[in-house]
Amino acid sequence: MTAQLLRLYRTELRLFGREPQALVFVFGFPIITVLVLGGVFGTDTDDSGFEYINPQHFYTAAYFGVVLCAIAVIMLPVHLAGYRERGVLRRFDTSSFPRWAVPAVLVASGVTFAVLGFAALLVTAQLAFGLPEIDDPVRTGIGLVVGTLAFVSLGVAIGSLLPTARAAQGIGLMLFFPMFLLAGGGPPPEALSDTMRTIADWLPLTHVIRAVQEPWLGLGTGGDHLAVTTGVLAASTAVWAWRTSRITRAA
Amino acid sequence: MTSIATRTSTPTADRPVLECIGLSKTYGGHLAVDDVNLEVSAGEIYGILGANGAGKTTSVECAQGLRRPDRGTIRVLGLDPVADKARLRGRVGSQLQQANLPDRLKVREAVTLFADDRVQARRVMDEWELETIAGTPFAGLSGGQRQRLFLALALLNDPEIVFLDELTQGLDPAARSEVWALIERVRDRGTTVVLVTHFMNEAEALCDRVAVMRSGRVVDLDTPAGLIERHSEGVRVRFGGSPDDVDWVVDVPLVRSARHDRREIVAVGPSPMIAHLGAELVARNRVPDEIRVAQPSLEEALLTLLDPPDPDPRPVGPSPFDPTALAVAAATPTTAGGPIR
Repeated sequence: MTAQLLRLYRTELRLFGREPQALVFVFGFPIITVLVLGGVFGTDTDDSGFEYINPQHFYTAAYFGVVLCAIAVIMLPVHLAGYRERGVLRRFDTSSFPRWAVPAVLVASGVTFAVLGFAALLVTAQLAFGLPEIDDPVRTGIGLVVGTLAFVSLGVAIGSLLPTARAAQGIGLMLFFPMFLLAGGGPPPEALSDTMRTIADWLPLTHVIRAVQEPWLGLGTGGDHLAVTTGVLAASTAVWAWRTSRITRAA
Repeated sequence: MTSIATRTSTPTADRPVLECIGLSKTYGGHLAVDDVNLEVSAGEIYGILGANGAGKTTSVECAQGLRRPDRGTIRVLGLDPVADKARLRGRVGSQLQQANLPDRLKVREAVTLFADDRVQARRVMDEWELETIAGTPFAGLSGGQRQRLFLALALLNDPEIVFLDELTQGLDPAARSEVWALIERVRDRGTTVVLVTHFMNEAEALCDRVAVMRSGRVVDLDTPAGLIERHSEGVRVRFGGSPDDVDWVVDVPLVRSARHDRREIVAVGPSPMIAHLGAELVARNRVPDEIRVAQPSLEEALLTLLDPPDPDPRPVGPSPFDPTALAVAAATPTTAGGPIR
């Protein structure tokens, strides 16, 4: 069983590596955008819009969430919904793989790509701006781990619900850009209107970003945000586990 | 009109490899499978024949534990396909309709993924002649190559029974012929094959027995030869003659009907009629220059019964076959319940 799952894991990593769209959104987009925004807003620590934090550091800490957002709403849903649409899941159903193998391996693959995306972001930020010191490594680490699991699980849950890759792509892009712009990856939070901030408070990405950003930059513990993120993890895991456990949609 | 040679022998076994009793499945008010009984013996190629929407795919999906039937009992190798799914893994092979592989997955990667180990993967690559296309992504394979790969994957673990659902749909005649040869190879390995098809010539060429389904019910079950015998007009013998010859031809033993058609006499009847007709021609010193004998095919035999359609067919099961019940409604949805996942 373990060897079988490892084979599936390696295969999925290869297949994701052959998906240009996934690579662009997970690796290309966050790096290019953080470089652009870091360049635009510079290093001024007097700006209340960035909570008196060096904007380059503010964005570096936030863009871990953007990597996760790309995995959760674009990479994984398109992949899994495409599997359903094309009958790949039917093939796995009739093979010796257990039903939970595909979603479980997609979670593992998503985590792997998240780690690779983080690494690419760290190297880029270090070379371009220098990395900010971590104020509370334990809470930052917990935020990163829970946030990663929550968003990867969310991606599998979304993919388990959507019928086609095209639907997943459309919905994913529709979710990605507003989330990215409002949750901390776009304009400074203070530049957002009250309505936008209210919307941002309801976005899971806001909480994932804050759960990492606050303890990293010394802005707070991120405890409330971590609680919300944990809720996202529990809910999304329940969704894909429920979808996987059903013998048939009609049953 | 020479038919494809058919096997008429029925393999015997101690117990059925697949047994469905009173199988029924409804999708939102639509009765997709209605009281279906199937019994597949070890080592045979068992065909399930019917038009799209006849309930073939739903029946085999229930048999594989992919759908839960509303009523009925199913036993595959003596086990319940839902409750004992884990125990049946590896003992049952399958190529379902619309079950594909990721476009960018290469042939060798696919075999390695589903095989137990590298040794098995290498053996299967050799056995099914996949080495030449080992580096080709799934999306780049021809129809015949895809089916060859699917068969190889379905048989990876040397299953005791394999379900093949519409394996040749969309293939050109050459590729279809190639796949037929592959299916015969599967049977020659001793694997029991349940072949779902709506191609009558495919069922006739490959199957030991054929269950004919219509509107969710099994309306007849026999060997292809038996179905032909029961539902065709019979053998057609043509030879040169005048309209007056019809008078004596109809009196030849076993001749069911005779008519004059474009300077020829056409006599119809069961195969032994040929001997009687030949003897009568010799006795009358009327041996013609040319005698043509047309054997009926399964397609001809069943098509005769499919027209006109009967909106309310009666199930046959153990009772005598009702020929009017076999009209097949065309172009209805193939999988009434939609995709499984």
